[in-house]
Amino acid sequence: MEHEERPRPVPAGEPHGLRVVIAEDDPLLREGLALLLRAESLDVAATAGTAEEALAAIEAHRPDVAILDVRMPPTHTDEGIRAAVEARRRRPGLAVLVLSAYVEQSFATQLLTGGVGGLGYLLKERVGRVEEFLDALHRVAGGGTAIDPEVVAQLFTRTRQDTRLERLSPREDEVLALMAEGLGNSAIAARLFVTDGAVHKHIRSIFAKLDMSPADQVDRRVAAVLHYLEDARRRTP
Amino acid sequence: MVKGTATMTPDRAGPGQDDGSPAAARPLRAATAALSQLVGGLGTALTALPVLLLLAVTALTAPAGIGLLLAPLALRALHALARRERARLTRVGSEVVPPHPPPPTRTRPALADPATRREVRWLLRHSTAGLLLGTTALLLPVIAVRDTTFPLYWRLLPENATATSIGLGQAHSWPQALAVSLLGIGAIAVIVGLTPGMARLQARPGRALLAAGPEEDLSRRVAELTATRAAALDAHATELRRIERALHDGTQNRLVSVTVLLGAARRQVARDPSRADEILERAQSAAEQALAELRTVARGILPPVLDDRGLEGALTGLAAGSPVPCRIDVDAPGRRAASVEATAYFVVAEALTNIARHSGADRATVTVRNRGGRLRVRIDDDGRGGADEGCGSGLTGIRRRVAAHDGTLRLTSPVGGPTTLEVDLPCGA
Repeated sequence: MEHEERPRPVPAGEPHGLRVVIAEDDPLLREGLALLLRAESLDVAATAGTAEEALAAIEAHRPDVAILDVRMPPTHTDEGIRAAVEARRRRPGLAVLVLSAYVEQSFATQLLTGGVGGLGYLLKERVGRVEEFLDALHRVAGGGTAIDPEVVAQLFTRTRQDTRLERLSPREDEVLALMAEGLGNSAIAARLFVTDGAVHKHIRSIFAKLDMSPADQVDRRVAAVLHYLEDARRRTP
Repeated sequence: MVKGTATMTPDRAGPGQDDGSPAAARPLRAATAALSQLVGGLGTALTALPVLLLLAVTALTAPAGIGLLLAPLALRALHALARRERARLTRVGSEVVPPHPPPPTRTRPALADPATRREVRWLLRHSTAGLLLGTTALLLPVIAVRDTTFPLYWRLLPENATATSIGLGQAHSWPQALAVSLLGIGAIAVIVGLTPGMARLQARPGRALLAAGPEEDLSRRVAELTATRAAALDAHATELRRIERALHDGTQNRLVSVTVLLGAARRQVARDPSRADEILERAQSAAEQALAELRTVARGILPPVLDDRGLEGALTGLAAGSPVPCRIDVDAPGRRAASVEATAYFVVAEALTNIARHSGADRATVTVRNRGGRLRVRIDDDGRGGADEGCGSGLTGIRRRVAAHDGTLRLTSPVGGPTTLEVDLPCGA
């Protein structure tokens, strides 16, 4: 994430924020995450070391959002992804934020097949940028989307030859990428240091150039953008 | 290494080999080995006779139908005898590679099978020439002893008894008796001079006809090499996966912890700077752990000491660092693939760590041998035993590593001890 984060005073105290379940097999990192979120007054209802424990904890505590590590025992491959899909199958609409040591666009696609609402997929190290991470967490908990810039970049690299994408101005490229990450208009405006009105204008222009119908809701917009990028990737060899 | 060539055989004994015996004894030794080989051949040649008879009866009665019933039996007997001869020839000389797949025992495929036909040709030659050579070899020492010592007992023999072993002439006087003993000496000369050649002659049909055909041998070799190469690539991929996992799940997690804690610390500074130090302290220790993990991962790829000092040197270093007195006995000349040596090194390192921690042993022994293209590592201790792989020991990781190299690991640890860990690794030579 490219811009400098400015920590601002946040009152610590009794948990009054989101109820969270954390699944991460590395004990130190699990404790670090819990420490961080508790300090931010979030309610860490339970922590888990495996996908099974995570599913049980989600059943038991009905969190607002579940944070899942991708690689967990026993095979250390994609347990977290599968647990996320399973948890959302059992409780449709459950907000899930998947964290991973590396991001893979194919994992993102697998996650997004059940709809992009209330879904996040981020690199683990994004947690260190606490404010942005909390933003993403709240966005996901509120039914929005948080896709790692790295995933979006992978989609963009592979769709470089799409002729319609070439029609976009550099600024419109940036806006499209932030839209794909799941940011709303005002968040995009804040990132790019422009006004909401300017962002609105860019977005209309992008939809026009890519022949996409403008979607009003943010998560539907993310879906539209991601689908567009996916399709473009398939079209180009 | 030297031991392997100490049992001299006519097939193996080259002129340049020196087994430490005086020059004069060498031909005698070669002759003895040749004689025993010829008599061994006589054994299979004698068995060849009834098998030949069985085959002949089978062939002759085939039109009457009885032969068809006999055929599987006869073929099985033929193959079994051929197998025995192959094993015998392999024991006394270079390997006789059996045909692959094994020759058929059913009549129709056997008639078309080249390996079976070659076995029949061998059977004919071995049951005749082979039998003759073997019998001669059995009789020669008898003749030599009987005739050489003839002057000692000729006067006790009845009149008109045949004097010589070969059945010619009679001895009536001392000069004649001495002449007979000259014949015995001649037999000794034949034994020393000719038996090695006779042994080769007797073995020749077997070596030529019982070995797999040249084309077949090559294709089998290719199949073997393909399999070993695939295994090697597999081991390589597993190794890479292990390293990737160690980096992603170990080192990177520590670094993520550092950034998470630093993020938390910055937020804490904004709220209450006095309490930020506690979090910074944790961040620092996470960074230190990341460094330690990185060192472990790098060392786990290839311990530098292995490259500098070789396997024996590296193991000696491990033993020197072990709190339990440890004797290192390495007899494995040459170098192997770095990954194989690294695996052997980690097996020993893990074993010594476990011995120091859990066994209560007074001493340990590490034995490393290189036999038949395999590296064998064995670690013994005199501790209390009862070692359990499941109980948080690093043995599971070691077993995975050994398996990645297509090797085997065996742990014997009865309660009360002693404990033995044996690892067998193909060297991929």
